Amino acid sequence: MSITSALGSALTGLSATSRQAEILSSNVANATTPGYARRDVALSAAVLGGTGQGVAVNGITRDVDRQLLGERRRAEAGEGDRDIRSDFLARLEQALGTPDSAGSLAARVAAFDQALVAAAGRPESEARLATVASTVRDLTSGLATATDDVQDARVEADRQISEQVGKLNSTLAELEELNVALLNFTGAGRDISALLDKRQQLVDTISTIVPIREISRDLNQVALYTTGGVPLLEGRASVFGFASTRLITPEMTQALGGLSGLTINGRSYHTSGSASPILGGTLGANFAVRDELAVSAQAKLDAVARDLVDRFSGLDPTTAPGAPGLFTDQGSAFLATNETGLAGRVQINSAADPQQGGALFRLRDGLGSLTAGPPGNGSLLSALHRALNQAQPLSSTGFVSGNRSLATLTGELLSDASTQRLAAQTEQSFAASRLTALKDMEAQNGIDTDQEMQQLLTIEKNYAANARVIQTVNDMIDTVLRIGA
Amino acid sequence: MMRISVGDVSMTNVLARQGAELRAQVQRASNEVATGRHTDIAHVLRGDVAPLLAIDASLSRLAALKTTTADAAFQASAQQSALAGLSGLAEGITMTLLGARDFPTPAQVNSVTADARARLSSAIGLVNTQASGRAVFAGNATDTVPLGTADDLLTMLETAALGATTAGQVAAAVVNWFADPLGYGTFYQGGAGLSPVPIAPGEDADLPTTALDPAIRATLAGFAMAALVDRGVFAGNDDERSRLAQRAGQELLTSGDTRITLAARIGVVEAQIEAAHTRNSAESTVLGILRSDIGSVDPYEAATRLETARTQLESLYLVTARVSRLSLTEYLR
Repeated sequence: MSITSALGSALTGLSATSRQAEILSSNVANATTPGYARRDVALSAAVLGGTGQGVAVNGITRDVDRQLLGERRRAEAGEGDRDIRSDFLARLEQALGTPDSAGSLAARVAAFDQALVAAAGRPESEARLATVASTVRDLTSGLATATDDVQDARVEADRQISEQVGKLNSTLAELEELNVALLNFTGAGRDISALLDKRQQLVDTISTIVPIREISRDLNQVALYTTGGVPLLEGRASVFGFASTRLITPEMTQALGGLSGLTINGRSYHTSGSASPILGGTLGANFAVRDELAVSAQAKLDAVARDLVDRFSGLDPTTAPGAPGLFTDQGSAFLATNETGLAGRVQINSAADPQQGGALFRLRDGLGSLTAGPPGNGSLLSALHRALNQAQPLSSTGFVSGNRSLATLTGELLSDASTQRLAAQTEQSFAASRLTALKDMEAQNGIDTDQEMQQLLTIEKNYAANARVIQTVNDMIDTVLRIGA
Repeated sequence: MMRISVGDVSMTNVLARQGAELRAQVQRASNEVATGRHTDIAHVLRGDVAPLLAIDASLSRLAALKTTTADAAFQASAQQSALAGLSGLAEGITMTLLGARDFPTPAQVNSVTADARARLSSAIGLVNTQASGRAVFAGNATDTVPLGTADDLLTMLETAALGATTAGQVAAAVVNWFADPLGYGTFYQGGAGLSPVPIAPGEDADLPTTALDPAIRATLAGFAMAALVDRGVFAGNDDERSRLAQRAGQELLTSGDTRITLAARIGVVEAQIEAAHTRNSAESTVLGILRSDIGSVDPYEAATRLETARTQLESLYLVTARVSRLSLTEYLR
């Protein structure tokens, strides 16, 4: 009966257009939702008994550019990595100070130098000796603050690693469940777009922490591997293990013990070097800050502190050989084996520090002198000033060898921090602009409300047309019925 | 499916990003215009901040050297004026003493030696000069005056000259006492010479003169010989008294040369200090100019940048306003 089949076709048209309107409204509503992929209704001509019988809705398609998505994820991981590194180096530069900051380490060395010159010019002046003592304290507290900042950065990195490991574990578990749900829904033939959106968001979360490769499997399943090749989700979710450390001292490293490494499913993996499977994201960057960048920054600070201690030991004829000089390692003489963390421990000799029960005259007359000598004797102060500015070889590694004054060494320390920070920021801005470009491309593929409105017009027209067909068919049937009456 | 569309978010993102970038530029430029300093000095120097730090360190050291050169110059000029005072005291009496043997009356010897004794006190006062709380001839014992009173000095000399029967013997005893570390050496209360004072980078001024200097010893010895006559040595023996007074005149006459030598030596150091001071000021001016060359922003350049960024930002606002009205929804009413 062709008239009734025309009615049926028109009805399928009505339902298809209302389905299209439904999806369109969802698209418009989610125009700015992050992670929402544009949906489309897939239509085809319905065939019944070899002839066309209206339109059939085949399902909902999600419009995702997989290639772009993968590339954007890797760019995001890379940007996160560079971001954390350059943040640390910027923080380090701030801790050491720049030529424009008043409390920079170099400014403190210069103030010490200035105070020594002034005191040598008039050794009897109590005020000038007090200035020497206070600039010495400023210098040691500057080194200690920088050490604290560096170690705080390590604690912060360690805490972030632990947080990210927790996030990885929970997200992977969620993904495992989603995979199961998707398997069931796909089997039942239901709309899975929302679940796919959710999964994409979860995978995005993981990909900022560790760069990954997503592999699609049958029945809307995915498997995840790090770009380094370790499976994160292959049917079952992998479990990361990490123990955070609350207090980190300069002596603690992953290699020498005290700090946790990373395990995946109970097996430990390298967290640095080419053998590490987790590099390239924020997780790897945090490990790099904790175990490499901060450690080498601390080594440089310690080298400066050691140079400072070395310069002033053995100068003073009133102290016994081997006794600490003007700068001490927490009150006692410095031992070459204790270089690590020295910058945090270096202090002014208590004999010359009125705040620790010492007396200022010992700066002028020698740390071992019992009573004040002739007040105009500036020879020791001059010797201290010479020692500060003498170009002498470094005892520690960490800098290129060569003869330097303390001011030169400090200048190099600051320059090195600035250079590293600038290089890292350049890399970071490259990574950021690459990510921006990819995100722009992704956004361009997003919802275009103008286009949706255009489609809405088409849908409206189609709906009206189908309704018109029904009305006309109705008229035709009425006409036939009137013949009989 | 080939689509001809651009997502709404894309445009929003682009506009937001450009806006943020321009606002950051405006902030940076306005900060630089206001402070005259680079926002990121390390970036301008390509990370090598060491030269700038070296300039800053030199500037701060030159500031300290400014005070030490002033101190040293003050010390030297206090020494010079004390020496000039000593010379004035000596010259005012030398000729009279030299003519002591030709005095018509012994009373004249009395008055001139009394004058010499008063001058000895004044001379010791000059040697004890303090400049800004610092005894200038006491060496490194800056807190003690180098010499005791004239009466103590004369008492010690009388003891040293005990048993001398001629003017020549007394004079020799006086000269020996002044040369003796256990004589004048113990009368001197000060310390060893001052250690050199830094006046310029790598340069020290040496002002080690103390009251032990031969010029001061000889001058004091001259006054002391005449003063001994006033104290009553050879009382009643007019011939020996006038002889000793004349000998004192000779001693003062010869001490003039040593004072001039000493003054010249201090003068050389004064010249060195002055030269260092001039050099330091010139250096700090040059370094200051260099510092602002490297470390400061060219205000014109920064202001131009600010103006450019401002114009761009305004244009962007205009574009944003226009573009956000461009929507099909607006026209489908």
